[in-house]
Amino acid sequence: MTEKAMLFDTARCTACKGCQVACKCWNNLPSGDGGCADSMDFKGVYQNPADINGTTRLIMTFNEFEAPESQKRMGWAFGRRSCQHCTDAGCVQICPAGALFRDEETGMITHDANKCVGCQYCSTACPYDVPRYDKLAGRPDPVINKCYGCVDRIHNGMAPACVTTCQPGALQFGDRDEMIRLAHEAVDRLQAKGFTDACVYGEEEMGGLHVIQVLKYGIEDHGQVANPKKSVLNTVHDYTAPVVGGIAGLVFLGLAGMTALSAGAEKHDQVIYNPETTDTLDMNTGAVLKHGDGQGTKSFKQYMSQVPIFKKWGEDDHE
Amino acid sequence: MTTHWADMQNADVILNIGSNSAENHPVSSKWLNKAHEKGAIWIVVDPRYTRTAEMADIYCPIRSGTDIAFYGGLYNYMIENLIEPGLYEYMTTGKMDKYNFEYLINYTNASYILEKDYEFDPETGLFSGWDPETETYNSHSWHYETDHEEPWDTSAGGAYAWAVKDGVPQFEKPVLTVPKMDKTLTNPRCVYQVFKQHYSRYTMEKVCEVCGMDIEDLRTVYAAWCTSCAPGKAGAILYALGQTQHTYGAQNTRAMSVLQLLSGNVGVPGGGVCALRGEPNVQGATDMGMLVNEQPAYLKWANTTDRDSLAHWLESQTYSDGYYTNKPKFMVSALKEWYGDNATVKNDYGYDWWPKVPSHDGSDWTEMSSFEKMKDGTIQGYFAWGMNPCHSAPNSSNVRRSMAHLDWNVVVDQVITETASFWDAPDMDATQIGTTCYFLPCALIYEKPGTILNSGRWMQWRYQAVEPWDEAKPDYEICDLLWREICRLYAEEGGANPDPILKMKWDYYLDGKIDPRPVSWALNGYRVKSSDWKSGFESGANGALAAGNVDLLAGYSELGADGSTACGMWIYSGFYANSAAPLDPAQQAIGRRNNKDTSGLGLYSDWAFAWPNNRRIIYNRASADMQGQPWAPDKALVKWDKKAKKWLSGYDNGLDIPDFAASKTLADGTVQAIEPNNKAFFMLWEQNGRLESYGMVDGPLPEHYEPFETPLSENLLNGRLNSPCFLGRPSADGNKELGTMFSLESTRRGSADEFPIVATTYSVTEHWQTGGQTRACPALVEAFPGDMIEMSPELAAEKGIGNGDKVRVWNKRASVVVTAVVTKRVRPLTVNGKTQHLVGMTHHYSWGKLYGNTLQGAVNDLTPNVGDPNSQTPEYKAFLVNIEKA
Repeated sequence: MTEKAMLFDTARCTACKGCQVACKCWNNLPSGDGGCADSMDFKGVYQNPADINGTTRLIMTFNEFEAPESQKRMGWAFGRRSCQHCTDAGCVQICPAGALFRDEETGMITHDANKCVGCQYCSTACPYDVPRYDKLAGRPDPVINKCYGCVDRIHNGMAPACVTTCQPGALQFGDRDEMIRLAHEAVDRLQAKGFTDACVYGEEEMGGLHVIQVLKYGIEDHGQVANPKKSVLNTVHDYTAPVVGGIAGLVFLGLAGMTALSAGAEKHDQVIYNPETTDTLDMNTGAVLKHGDGQGTKSFKQYMSQVPIFKKWGEDDHE
Repeated sequence: MTTHWADMQNADVILNIGSNSAENHPVSSKWLNKAHEKGAIWIVVDPRYTRTAEMADIYCPIRSGTDIAFYGGLYNYMIENLIEPGLYEYMTTGKMDKYNFEYLINYTNASYILEKDYEFDPETGLFSGWDPETETYNSHSWHYETDHEEPWDTSAGGAYAWAVKDGVPQFEKPVLTVPKMDKTLTNPRCVYQVFKQHYSRYTMEKVCEVCGMDIEDLRTVYAAWCTSCAPGKAGAILYALGQTQHTYGAQNTRAMSVLQLLSGNVGVPGGGVCALRGEPNVQGATDMGMLVNEQPAYLKWANTTDRDSLAHWLESQTYSDGYYTNKPKFMVSALKEWYGDNATVKNDYGYDWWPKVPSHDGSDWTEMSSFEKMKDGTIQGYFAWGMNPCHSAPNSSNVRRSMAHLDWNVVVDQVITETASFWDAPDMDATQIGTTCYFLPCALIYEKPGTILNSGRWMQWRYQAVEPWDEAKPDYEICDLLWREICRLYAEEGGANPDPILKMKWDYYLDGKIDPRPVSWALNGYRVKSSDWKSGFESGANGALAAGNVDLLAGYSELGADGSTACGMWIYSGFYANSAAPLDPAQQAIGRRNNKDTSGLGLYSDWAFAWPNNRRIIYNRASADMQGQPWAPDKALVKWDKKAKKWLSGYDNGLDIPDFAASKTLADGTVQAIEPNNKAFFMLWEQNGRLESYGMVDGPLPEHYEPFETPLSENLLNGRLNSPCFLGRPSADGNKELGTMFSLESTRRGSADEFPIVATTYSVTEHWQTGGQTRACPALVEAFPGDMIEMSPELAAEKGIGNGDKVRVWNKRASVVVTAVVTKRVRPLTVNGKTQHLVGMTHHYSWGKLYGNTLQGAVNDLTPNVGDPNSQTPEYKAFLVNIEKA
């Protein structure tokens, strides 16, 4: 099997959330009480749940903005927030338990929840802040939950559940080369129509993603991360691994990281929404994670960078 | 719709108005995206910036309920910018590059001369024929002037010899009144000149004053639309309930049809008037006659005035020319199916047993007045079958109070809806209600086999996937149980009028069990003599019958008016015509699964079956010029072969099935091709599209009137504020009988002083209508967990409302609390020089015991019980409210 990828074309996406719902259905993931406790309350925003969580692997994001120069005078950028399936996957490298691994045939990053020890390093290692933890999986500790690329479906000749359900053709699945080719065609069309910020995302990022995106309004407006990098943890790991050996290095980092990062690792599992300010907040620290109805000025990577240890990481990307 | 979903990929211009296709019809996006990527211009005209508006190139806001002003302005723009500047050149040289004059002059009634006393008075806002006593129009003056008359030729060998055959009921044959015409379009009483004069008042400045958009936006929209008017180009209008749910909703629909005729866009690939149907099979429900004014297959119900006997029905309904000259065949064959062997020519095929709409006293028996009739005791028992009026009907709190007057209430549904538990509403006191309530659980669509139709008229067979849950049964099985019990009671105990029940044919059993396949045979039609329904049907091998026999018709052209054929749905005829395997839907046209497209236009003619007669794009004669050559060579649907002197058509030629008279059968049985002519619309007697029509009860041309509740004190375009004959209007003297069915209490009109904000209602993609199915799915509830009121930041600031706040929305009918979505996607408009705020609400949630029972009432508690006089559709889409932070 050649390397595979999903293609997400924001110019075709109508944000119907069919993908979000199909993901829940195929993976038997609960809504509401079984997942994010307050996700059954309507908070005045289309984006719901506010973020991915322990039982939500994929959400559509909504970002409306003024565009005085356009006839429509505004834009409404829809985004896909889920695992990007990096080639250079920090989560896989840092996982001390071997719970995260690459499906070599397709390139998708999948996981074995039975091996997960709940350390949550992967969450901090991810430049997209994707891995989440299911607290209700019937285990003493929360276990990892994230998009696994529907590799079981792929190995049986099917497309991922989100792709299969997509009516407008915004999601496609196939050989990665072909998806990249289609993405460039789409971006050329958009550029010709005057979407000068339109770009392909995922071709080079993190060694090449297995979710290729066509971003109509550019990277930021669709909630994507410009110039994503692996976390300092990975960097330290790369640096120390040759010295103390792979396993020892991970344990060492693990102990050090647990203390320093406990707030950082925990925070994104506990998201609350403030209807007055329309902000999404970290329940533990009170930090603003996201401003308004998808109108946050910061990327998820930047939220991460608010944690002191990550200050330097990513800062320079968002001037 | 006149076309189908896959054809949308051929559009050069897409206009969403009164629809939100990306959200409410997700599959449309697949085809619209294809058109868009090929270069189509996509326009959205809507009170708010929807998810569809995000897909489009051009967005133009509009005040809810002012669509006719928008269309009138567009007609005027087209006349001023396309038609008048090019007409002289076309008349003298035949040249037409920007506008299709050939279409206008030959395929529409633009050249027809109207009656001398036709008139419209802008001062009063009334057309000629208005009777202030009865508050109704007499449409005589809206007809054409007659040039000469042509009687039917019923002689042996004549075109209408069938009409005097043995077994055909006696009726007075129609006479064709050939209209006077002026093909130069200069006669001041020709439709084109009258039309031009009528819409000259609709200047762009005036339209903007009424509708509230910016004039540059309007100009952009109009100019973009006009590119679809060139020969070979096509524009599609996509509409839905945003057009129909008004006190002039049927006129909105006419206005779109008129626009498409004027633009040369009907019958061509990528064009059409696209009615986007919501629920899978709402098209089937409409076809099947789940209507108060039409029986199955769009034949008018019997009534107590002009259709009180079979002869009168045939005389009033049979057209003098065109395809509807065949209506006697459709009606007699339908009666033959309804009453079987009991239907004979001697008893008018059982017509007198047929239920009759009481039309003699002007009373209304639609859903809108049902709840009034419960209050006054006329209706004592009620079946709500797949319907949830306590949530979806206008003024729904009035509905639940009315239902408390019932003796009994039966709800057939999958979940306990608000209607099934109306007594349990927060504002109801169950101890004071004596209604006996029954709930019959029914099977979900995947739990039973049967037919399903989509908006493109495609019929497919849907197989049963799983067994119904618990005690739930398919609807037809519930019907059968009821039917047999009712018949038993009539047979054993007698009754006032048993014949309409006991004489009826009801033998749709296979192996002793009710089954949708015998129903399909009845719908398709069969030859009576060579079919055997008497001995009972038993399954055999390979889809054949072991006992019983049915001789299915190939199509409706085989129908007779002499009782020789039976057919429940003439329009479907041909969908299930294989008599060799009547038990196997896969061996029928409806079961076809060849997705090869020979047309290159996405006709997919060998996939499933499209009524009528597998025509994928109806009125397709209009896709070709007067010589039968397609306007665009690469977009051919039919084509006249000049050498062979015949029409090319059909799947094998990569073409459509002709939706016009392409050939005729002579008396000796030979088939002769009919040379190209101007008869492009053969479902009308004049066979030309109607820019002006005498067929509506409320006017021959769409004219702007304000909604029942309007922020304006006067109509800026004419002297009459509201449509003159809308349903439920309060009469001047409070007399309930005069043209109005509803008491003032049920409509409760509010004024703009008290309720200055224009409100509308709509759905989100995550939910379906009153949520009986979607609120039962936790993942869908999570995807959109409540009802919202969308408003502009300006209005929110004025009222001190923040995003996510609870907002009380009220008017004279009710008060409801919903969650605010403050968004730039809703803009304040400038209407008649003043700032006008708009809000929009979803209507998916309520107090019913499903997930997300977040509301004390329902959003439809706020909507008024008034509607369109042609279609009896309520006005959900424009009314007045006030709001405050709850």
